[in-house]
Amino acid sequence: MLNAVLGIALAMLAAPLLSRRMDDRAGFVLALAPLAAFAWFLAQVPTVAGGGVLYEALAWVPALGIELAFRLDGLSLLFALLVSGIGTLIVLYAGAYLSDHHHLGRFYAYLLGFMAAMLGLVLADDLIALFVFWELTGVFSFLLIGFQHEKAESRRAALQALLITGGGGLALLAGLILIGIAGDAWRFSALDGTVLAEHALYPAMLALVLFGCFTKSAQLPFHVWLPNAMAAPTPVSAYLHSATMVKAGIYLMARLNPVFGGPEGWGTILVVVGAATALVGAVLAIRQSDLKRILAYTTVTVLGQLTMLIGTNTTYGLQAFVIYLLAHSLYKGALFMAVGAVDHATGTRELGRLGGLIRYMPLTGAAVALAAFSNAGLPPFFGFIAKEFKYIGLIELGPLGWLTTAVMVATNALLLAAAGLVFLRAFLGREGRYPRVPHEVSAPMWAGPMVLALGGFMLGAFNNLPEIWLVNAAVQAVSHGPVEVRLYLWGGLTPALLASALTITLGVLAYRRRQSVRHHLARWRVFWQISGDLLWDRLLKRVFLFAGTLAGNFQHGSLRRHMSLLLVVATATGAAVLASVGGAFEGLGGFSPLSVAGLAGCALAVAGAAGAAVMRGRLALMGALGLSGLGLALFFLAARAPDVAVTQLMVETLTVLFLALVLRRLPPVDGVGSRTPRTRRLHAALAAAFGLMVAVVMLVVLGRPLPGDVAEWYLANSLPGGHGANVVNVILVDFRAMDTLGEILVVVLAGLAAAPLLGGGRAAENTGAGGRKEFGSVLLRVGVKPLAGLLLLVSVVLLWRGHNLPGGGFIGGLVAACALVLLALTFGVPMARRLLRVPPAWVAGLGLACAAGAGLFGLAGGGDFLTGGWIAPGGLALGSPLLFDLGVFLAVSGAVLHMLFRLLESEEA
Amino acid sequence: MEIIVAATVGLLVALGVWMMLDRNLVRVVLGVVVIGNAINLAVVSVGRLGGQAAAFVAAGEVPAQAANPLPQALVLTAIVIGFALFVFALGVLKRAWVEHGTTETDRVTAQAETPAPDLPVDKPASGERA
Repeated sequence: MLNAVLGIALAMLAAPLLSRRMDDRAGFVLALAPLAAFAWFLAQVPTVAGGGVLYEALAWVPALGIELAFRLDGLSLLFALLVSGIGTLIVLYAGAYLSDHHHLGRFYAYLLGFMAAMLGLVLADDLIALFVFWELTGVFSFLLIGFQHEKAESRRAALQALLITGGGGLALLAGLILIGIAGDAWRFSALDGTVLAEHALYPAMLALVLFGCFTKSAQLPFHVWLPNAMAAPTPVSAYLHSATMVKAGIYLMARLNPVFGGPEGWGTILVVVGAATALVGAVLAIRQSDLKRILAYTTVTVLGQLTMLIGTNTTYGLQAFVIYLLAHSLYKGALFMAVGAVDHATGTRELGRLGGLIRYMPLTGAAVALAAFSNAGLPPFFGFIAKEFKYIGLIELGPLGWLTTAVMVATNALLLAAAGLVFLRAFLGREGRYPRVPHEVSAPMWAGPMVLALGGFMLGAFNNLPEIWLVNAAVQAVSHGPVEVRLYLWGGLTPALLASALTITLGVLAYRRRQSVRHHLARWRVFWQISGDLLWDRLLKRVFLFAGTLAGNFQHGSLRRHMSLLLVVATATGAAVLASVGGAFEGLGGFSPLSVAGLAGCALAVAGAAGAAVMRGRLALMGALGLSGLGLALFFLAARAPDVAVTQLMVETLTVLFLALVLRRLPPVDGVGSRTPRTRRLHAALAAAFGLMVAVVMLVVLGRPLPGDVAEWYLANSLPGGHGANVVNVILVDFRAMDTLGEILVVVLAGLAAAPLLGGGRAAENTGAGGRKEFGSVLLRVGVKPLAGLLLLVSVVLLWRGHNLPGGGFIGGLVAACALVLLALTFGVPMARRLLRVPPAWVAGLGLACAAGAGLFGLAGGGDFLTGGWIAPGGLALGSPLLFDLGVFLAVSGAVLHMLFRLLESEEA
Repeated sequence: MEIIVAATVGLLVALGVWMMLDRNLVRVVLGVVVIGNAINLAVVSVGRLGGQAAAFVAAGEVPAQAANPLPQALVLTAIVIGFALFVFALGVLKRAWVEHGTTETDRVTAQAETPAPDLPVDKPASGERA
């Protein structure tokens, strides 16, 4: 079973390529996949008919107990045969029908993908697996309905089908999960109806699952999507929207019937909804003049009847269900394919322009005749048995059954009239006014309908074959307990036969007087005006309007309003947390003493930031921001964090440099932040509140002792474990090297992303100009070279000693970058590039490679990635963390230089 | 010292937020830097301030009151990453000026973004109000 689904899925993947290579012959190859599946399922018939059940399971999400469990019983086998059998014919048919379409390969892929999903659906025993396949069929249906996506009508129909069935799918998921939880079983075969019925949420389960089934199988009032889905190419209508996908809901109801089916609730709902759907579908069908839409509405009718038959839960009702399911798939598939052939041959599907086609298309006509007779429920076709058993089953129900029987007589009469329209009106009588001269279609196009129609005839005529091999096992799978199955054409003079006779009489009458029937129907204008389609359009418009308004109010695109909202929420959350902590200030006395350097650093940082917040001049802004950063560096120094302080110092230098280069091209900045004083006050209040909240949080945190002993561990293990005295550096390149690797990756990526933004998206011409004229002083030019050389030397020393003394890859990289920046500013970028020899982006890349490569030593040594390895040749301690630090050095300097060179080049150009 | 640090962090954050609410993108970018500084200061301080010696260990002996090395390592990389982020923001700022000729945040938005396709045509997106 798993192989069947996988094989068809593989065919899907191969379809586009195959179609490109073999043109329209690809269909013959692709059809082999479903054909093989069909043959395999056919081979299982004896086993299943003998009461056997096949089971296969594959662990899928073991953590959640979800598995791809496939189970083949009578019902699944029937569906699997339909899916793979009709699927084979459809693939062949599609090749001829769409032979000149430029996306035929894509069509095959969608079709086969759907087939795999549908097969999975009818075989799945796991609740969640079924849902996944269920949704997949919906997605493929969307793609197939919208296949001719250049037409607005197709797009609308596709979206409508997706939204309705997808919405139902969500309800179904909820329902299935409820069932799984309530029944404590996630397999259909393990569900116990009595356990579920005692659960408090039983009605909710019922409602959710039925909602999903009704939407999928186009029951009232969700039937609107099915006729619109006829915008799809005919093979799709024939396959998805009559034979298989729309029966997924029916399948699930049948599958759950043994669990839910009881005298009350379930059965009544199904009978009432099904009968109403059937009647509405039949009435709507007779009003149409487009052959395909007639068939679509008769499909709605049949789906309604099938739903109803499941609800009867009587011996004959369930037999009728299975027979009817089989009969309908055969004749409706045939009719759809034949109508597609007519459309293909004559260029129209309008009844008014057709007639006398049998002269031109004898083979198609014969297939339509056979199928239409089965459709009309005339003996000795399979459809007749289905109708007979349906009446018997309904009559068994009692009062409700009699009422329903009356409705069904009317419905079936209309169906008969519709079948008459399709065959008599189109193929017999005088010649129609075709847009082009018809011709018989090619073999793959008439063979499909012929095979299916003949199948319907044979199954009816030799009805003991399906009884033994198919119907019996399927009925047993649907019913509560064992049911005796016996099919016959002639059951004596029973009420059911009378109902049948009445149906045929009425049907013939309705066909002969079709004009007046239509005329009478047209009078109920109010009824047609409130059709579901119109309501749907209005609903959709409302939803879009609502979503648009909602999005407009929140996604307004104003950065400042987004910020304001964020701040309000953040402040409120922080305040709430503080309030919940309560009485926070423990150990106020434990504060550390003031230090002059620290105080000065804080003062500088705040003063600089305040300057940056209010000043106008660009130079003043840069100065203020730099001052703030320097203050911070001073504080870090006072807080016994020399590495951090130096890094801050270097970064601040580069920050000011970048800022200066960019700001000189921008206009001066206004002193005030907002136009209106009201906004200013609001923003000031927001900022103050947020700042206050943060300050209080800091106080609360700092007033408590530091939990844990992580710091002690690092201090104690740095030398023995990491071979380094500088604990901060050892943490960076050894203990937490994986983090650092990620961080330098971010730096390099940011550099790569920022460079084109800064450089105007293009590398400037190599001007060869001798640097910036601001740096034209001879003294400077003479002095810079040794200075830069010294800086480079210092950077290397910093890198080398970083493991034991202040320094390291980050600081060294920044210093090296500064040295080259100095050269580039004074003598021009080309000179600096020449000196570097390779592009800085390569340097950064090399750095990443170095750092990652250093990690491999750990792997080679049998440890984890990035485990440090050390050797000491001649007393010189060498280790992979040093290589890692070199990588950091190269990555940081490369990234910085990459950005800066691009910026400078764009300025020079 | 803790009280001073808490006040400094609060003030820096408030100033940074105030700058980010400015209508000029230049100040917004500077605000990002100020907030970044505030956070770095906060992280180092949260490792507690009482350290009497830098986190260096000589052979076999651990200084009694060493500063907490872990937040220092975190902040060291954070400074460099913050710098890369700042340069990126600067690049965006420059591009916005080149493309749109304005550095006012809401005007850039109005020029750069097309209104949502589902909105009715007669009602412009509210974001266009400058």
